[in-house]
This record gives sequence, C-alpha cells and structure tokens, in this order.
Amino acid sequence: MRPRILPTDVLLGTAPIALVLALWQGLVSFGFAPVTLLPPPGIVFGRLLQQLVTSTFQQEIVATLIRLFGGFLIAVVFGVGIGIAAAASPAINSVVRPIVRVLAPLPKVALYPALLLLLGFNHESKITLVAADALFPILLSTYFGASTVEQKLIWSAMAAGTPRREILFKVVLPAAMPSILTGCRIGLVISCIVVFLAEMITSTDGLGHVLVTAARTFQAVDMFVPLITISLLGLILNGLLQAVRSYLLRGFPEV
Amino acid sequence: MIEIDRVSQVFQTSARSDHLALSDISLSVEEGAFVSILGPSGCGKSTLLYIVGGFVNPTSGIAKMKGKTITGPGPDRGPVFQEFALFPWKSVLGNVMYGPRQQGVRAVDAEAQSRALIEMVGLKGYENFYPKELSGGMKQRVALARTLAYHPEVLLMDEPFGALDAHTRTRLQNDLLNIWERDRKTVIFVTHSVDEAVFLSDKVVMMSRSPGRIRQIVDIELPRPRRRTELLLDPRYQKFVVDIERMFDDDDEAGPGA
Ligand SMILES: Nc1ncnc2c1ncn2[C@@H]1O[C@H](COP(=O)(O)OP(=O)(O)OP(=O)(O)O)[C@@H](O)[C@H]1O
Ligand SMILES: [Mg+2]
Repeated sequence: MRPRILPTDVLLGTAPIALVLALWQGLVSFGFAPVTLLPPPGIVFGRLLQQLVTSTFQQEIVATLIRLFGGFLIAVVFGVGIGIAAAASPAINSVVRPIVRVLAPLPKVALYPALLLLLGFNHESKITLVAADALFPILLSTYFGASTVEQKLIWSAMAAGTPRREILFKVVLPAAMPSILTGCRIGLVISCIVVFLAEMITSTDGLGHVLVTAARTFQAVDMFVPLITISLLGLILNGLLQAVRSYLLRGFPEV
Repeated sequence: MIEIDRVSQVFQTSARSDHLALSDISLSVEEGAFVSILGPSGCGKSTLLYIVGGFVNPTSGIAKMKGKTITGPGPDRGPVFQEFALFPWKSVLGNVMYGPRQQGVRAVDAEAQSRALIEMVGLKGYENFYPKELSGGMKQRVALARTLAYHPEVLLMDEPFGALDAHTRTRLQNDLLNIWERDRKTVIFVTHSVDEAVFLSDKVVMMSRSPGRIRQIVDIELPRPRRRTELLLDPRYQKFVVDIERMFDDDDEAGPGA
C-alpha cells in the first residue's frame, strides 16, 4: 500500500536535469560562452570524478558535511523543542512569539562576522550560522502542527489513562510529525545553502572555500566542481530525509 | 451510576456574546442501563457527553460518577467520538493496544486481549492496517474496540453510526447490542435517529433545541434480547417511534427557539 517508485517517475525526475545539462552543453558548443569561463559539463564531471578520489577533496566534503549536519541537527532539536513547548504552554508562547517575530526575518548571515569573532574560524561559527538559519522554518512548522492537533485525539488518549504531561510525547509530537518533517525538509535545503555561503565568505576549508580559491585563480573547472558536489549532496540528503519521512508517516494520509 | 445535577453550559463565542448551550440539565443513569440522548442538531448533546467524560467543565452544576464529582477524563468512562479520532500513526492493533498499555498491562497480554477484541468487532486480518486504509465503518469498529480495550464502566458514544450507510449502520447496531447484552456496560448513546434510539435503549432522553433542555424522558419497555426484524413488526416498537417523532414535530411547529 506504500506508493512504489515507478521507472516512469525516475524518468520524469531526471528528464529536466538532463535538459539543463543539454542547455549547458549547448551554451558552450554554440559559442555563447567561452570554454575558459563556462567549461562543458563533460569536463566538469570528469574533473569531479578525479577529485572525489583524492583525500584533500574528501576532507573538504567532510568539513562541509560536519557543519551542515551539526547545524541542521541543532536546528531540529531546538526548533522542534521550542515549537512544541510554545504550542503546549501559552506562557512560553507569549515569550517565544515576539522573539521569533523579530529574529525570523533577520538575515542571519549578517551575524556571521560577529560569530567569527566570538567562535573563531573553525566549525563552531559555521555550525551556529547554519543552525540559526534552519531553526525558524522548523520551529514555525512544528508550532503550526502542534497547535492544530485534533482535540479528540488528545481526549481519546486522556480517557485511556494518559497523564496530561505525557500527552505531549504520546499524542502531540506524533500527530504533528507531518508538519515537523515538512519544516525539516525546508531547513535542510537552507542548511545546504548557508553552509556553502559561510565557507565562501570566510573559511580555510570546505566546499565553499574550494570554490572561492578556484575563482581567485580563474580556474573555471575547479569552480564548478564544488558547486556540483554540494547540489549532489543536497540531492542525497533530501533522498535520505524522504526515506525517513515515508517511514515515520506511513500511517498518515498522502505524504 | 451517573448523576447529572442542574448542569448548565455557557460558551463564549467569537462574537464575544455568551451562548447558552445547556440549560439546567438533570439526569440520572443507572448502572447497566442503555440510555440514548436524542435531539436536533446543536441542542448540546455532544456537550453533555463531554461533560460526563470530564473533557469539559460545566459552567454550573455538577456531574457525578458513582457519587464522586467528575473533574477530568478517566478510564472508567470511555468515549467513542463521531469523528473516530483514531491515532493515524498507529496500526489497528496499535490503536486498540493503546489503552491497555496505558493501564500498565504487559505488552504480550495487551496484544492478546486486543487481537481478541479486533476479532470480536469483525476485523480479524486487519490488525496491521493503518486507519487511512480502512472504510468509515471499519474505523468506527476500531474506535469501539479501542475504547472497550481498557474496560470502561461507562461507554459514551457520540453519534457513532451517524456517518455510516444504512446497511453498515444496522450491522453495527446489532453488534453493539450483542456486546452490550453480554457485558451490560452502562451506555450513554447520542443520536439523531429515532429508530436507532428506540431499538437500542432502555431510556430515551429527548432534548429540545437551544438552549438545550431535557424535554422528556421515555422509558422503552420492550423485551430483550431485541431482534431488529422482530421489533420492526412489533406495534409497541412502532408506537414508541411514532410518539417520539410526533413530539419533535410539535416542537418544530412551536416556532424557532422553542
Ligand atoms: N467550544 C465551543 N465554543 C462555542 N460554542 C460551542 C462550543 N461547542 C459547542 N458550542 C455550541 O453549543 C451548542 C451545542 O453544541 P453541541 O456540539 O453540543 O451540539 P450537538 O447537539 O452535539 O449537535 P450535533 O447533533 O450537530 O452534533 C451549539 O449551538 C454550538 O454552537
Ligand atoms: Mg454533536
């Protein structure tokens, strides 16, 4: 009863990507962009495969992944925790709501210079920035999901003998899971963008740093390699999250 | 078993005006009785049930269970909601096992009891299905089994068969009567349907349109066990149905607000 992935779905999913690659190749082949500035996809992917087996490039990927995961996981823990708490308690909500209103629209990247001074050039400052940016979509969708839980689910559990304080974990959290995971999905995309951005601005390693270094020395091919890498990472991570999602939401109508 | 003593319920509506949903309701339900509450939409039947369930505190008056004032929900009173309210993240078995597990029954025992209950409500083979994979009638059976699983002394049923087609409804009515005739639980059963109320109940409580009041209480003196096919031909049954319908007609003719 779980939807199966059909070959046609895969085809439909990859066709637009193939189109973009064809367009890219076309731009180069028909001379719209000079090969030195826009290298053809074949060369970029060839270079990527070369790089992937080198330990230096692997270390750059690992550095980026640590920051991405660190920040994202912190955002999930705080976003879900604060969101649920705010939905459960009007007192907490009255504190959280104005703070969220002020901080959510703030461009978090503006805090990055301050974070660098506070936390240094290593992982910590980047993890904090990623967490700060991914936090709000997760928090807001958790709050939304938890505050719209059907009253009768809660009543059913209470009648069965669940104490009030356990309702949060036994009913509200699982019932809010669809919204929470939607927030996580948005948070994950934001994490990918922000970790790369932070590494481009100031870093000594990571994929963003690789790109900036290549750009400074006009190495067009090497500039595209980290770009493709981060989008592949995003694709893989999104796929993993999707798998988690369809497992956790197996009982819910239409994921 | 249940004593409702001069209960009134006022709701604050978004228009900031007070809305009197229940006015001065007094009712007592004996142990083992099957009592139906019958009334037009919006007369406060659900609200009354929620008060007995302990989900809503009455604005004035008190409701008691076995002499003790009801202050909150408890496993001695098991609700079955019109909306089913099954946990979507749990399978049929998981839903039914929830109550016994909360009561501290060991997992193996809870599972065995729940499987037996699922079989009793006619859903053997559907243990691992999720609620979204069931029809409305099947969901209602699961909701009933989930509530029966923690052995409430009183069943509070809010139009449990309201959303079902006539055929499924009849079958579930028969099933419910069989279950009730076996363990004689106290049942408070909210319904719109006059035949349903007469067929199932010892007592029918008729409520009038807002503000909800008790209009009349009719004792249904029909022999048990009741068989639907026999009852439909029984003039006494027919008379109860017609009398009650007439009383509601009079109510309507008295104009709005009556
Ligand atoms: N939470 C609430 N806030 C405000 N008004 C409410 C609330 N719950 C119920 N009411 C009002 O109280 C009255 C009784 O509602 P209730 O749901 O008990 O009716 P009912 O008899 O169960 O109707 P139905 O047969 O349609 O289910 C209605 O007029 C409704 O508008
Ligand atoms: Mg109702």
